Amino acid sequence: MEASHTDAEIPNPGPNPSPRRNPNSISLSSAVWPTIDGPLGLSEEESLSYASRFYKFGFALLPWLWAVNCFYFWPVLCHRRSFPRIHYYVVRSAIGFTVFTALLSSWALTFAIGGEHLLGPVWDQLVMYNLADRLGLTSWS
Amino acid sequence: MAQNTRRPSILESLGQEIIGIVVPVSMCMLMVVILVTVLTSNSSSSSSVLTIANIIESSSDSSWDKFVGALLYSLAFVAFTTVITFVLVLLFYLRYTKFLKIYMGFSAFLVLGFMGGEIALFLIKDFSIPIDCITFLVLLFNFAVVGVLAVFMPKMAILVTQGYLIIIGMLAAYWFTLLPQWTTWVLLVAMSLYDLAAVLLPVGPLRLLVELAISRDEDIPALVYEARPVNHHDSGARGGVVRRRVWRERRNDNSNVGADSNSTANSGSDESGDSRSNSNLNSNEIGDSNPDGCTADNGHNDARLVRAEEGQNSERNEELSSPLLKQVQCPGQEDGVSSDSMVLEGIGLGSSGAIKLGLGDFIFYSVLVGRAAMYDYMTVYACYLAIIAGLGITLMLLSLYQKALPALPVSILLGVIFYFLTRFLLEVFVVQCSLNLVMF
Repeated sequence: MEASHTDAEIPNPGPNPSPRRNPNSISLSSAVWPTIDGPLGLSEEESLSYASRFYKFGFALLPWLWAVNCFYFWPVLCHRRSFPRIHYYVVRSAIGFTVFTALLSSWALTFAIGGEHLLGPVWDQLVMYNLADRLGLTSWS
Repeated sequence: MAQNTRRPSILESLGQEIIGIVVPVSMCMLMVVILVTVLTSNSSSSSSVLTIANIIESSSDSSWDKFVGALLYSLAFVAFTTVITFVLVLLFYLRYTKFLKIYMGFSAFLVLGFMGGEIALFLIKDFSIPIDCITFLVLLFNFAVVGVLAVFMPKMAILVTQGYLIIIGMLAAYWFTLLPQWTTWVLLVAMSLYDLAAVLLPVGPLRLLVELAISRDEDIPALVYEARPVNHHDSGARGGVVRRRVWRERRNDNSNVGADSNSTANSGSDESGDSRSNSNLNSNEIGDSNPDGCTADNGHNDARLVRAEEGQNSERNEELSSPLLKQVQCPGQEDGVSSDSMVLEGIGLGSSGAIKLGLGDFIFYSVLVGRAAMYDYMTVYACYLAIIAGLGITLMLLSLYQKALPALPVSILLGVIFYFLTRFLLEVFVVQCSLNLVMF
């Protein structure tokens, strides 16, 4: 009495009108959604606006936003031919995240490992727990 | 076509949904317990704790004085919460939805940025992590801004949103555990009674909110945790019926007034400031016919009032919590499931048919377990089991009554009872057994 459906075919009247059919797939019912949430995520047009907005906001010193962008649109990174426009933004977000993380971690590691004998007295001024003490951030008094 | 003759039993789908809500609650509680044990063992009785504690009750008071102090504080808090909830109902009634959403985002930013930052500073100091201020600020800024986006934007990666909501609950709960002991317990009991009243009484603010939301078929903007919807392939013709459930949980976000000053004398005026308001959110969900729409997601925004004091900010959070409401509707299901089970069953239904639980419930459950952790791990286990049992009972009651129900009372009262029973009866028994090598 009931036909079985694949997940992708669920006529979810929600925000995703239709997935993108994978043109290279043999099976008729394989469809690729642009977001990692699949049918619960965004439609393709919305995905494009979200991806571009995340990419642009990430320039405000927000590498974590770029990382979230890549995570969210992970299927786009895997099936780049299905979503060319979204792929443009996601790849650039990934590159931006990697570059920023490399820079930040190199600075943080230099600071942590080098310590005082590398940076001199500035180290004491910059390290967080001293700064917290000086500004009284943790004492609430 | 192949026939889908094997129907997944109700237990499978129900179990999956329950797991979808029990796991995040448990994770939040676990993280609060870890934070409490790490931070209280390292810095014994930090100055901040004494500061707050001394305003309300000091360790030198007699038991009765402590109890009275705790009672006064809790009553002030509940009163404040009621007022704020009514204000939120009013705002929602006047359709200031945009304002509520912005307020919610702002409060999330405060919780993540300031509270999260303070806790991170505590950890950095305790473990002497050699991080410099630039890196720390960049990381904190990222963390807070992406959290606000996750909470604020309608469609964001589900995992990211869920993770951030759990973190917000954890941070707020940790700050509540810094209240003195008697106050915490009396506050928990008072809030659960308030929850009961606000949701079930016809004049209760949360009930009003739910009814408003139902009548308008809208979502209330609020911090509500939404579990991933479970697809029940029981109605083949539909290609997977999405059960819609409505769960409105109360979210109580109590922000502790951290910065309250030791300096001030006017503790009386501070009390109201300190308390957070909890608002209960009731949401009723309806209808599958409009899946996108209106799933009764009523949530109150997390209102946070910031009070500057001596250059420090004390934050008050208000959260709207919604009572637990269970509603499930499956459009046209014709499978063997009995019609009444499909009609209205479900706790909190999101627009995609997922279970929703208000953040205030997360927070208060975690506060209870965190306070139990300050005594011993035995009480933690007992309280955890009591809370989960209470959650299960509340779910069952929901399916029974099929209307908005408060999620706090059963769990909190069970938790409190079990805490005191464990502390005063069980511990003595277990310790004596261990000492006499009867049982370890």
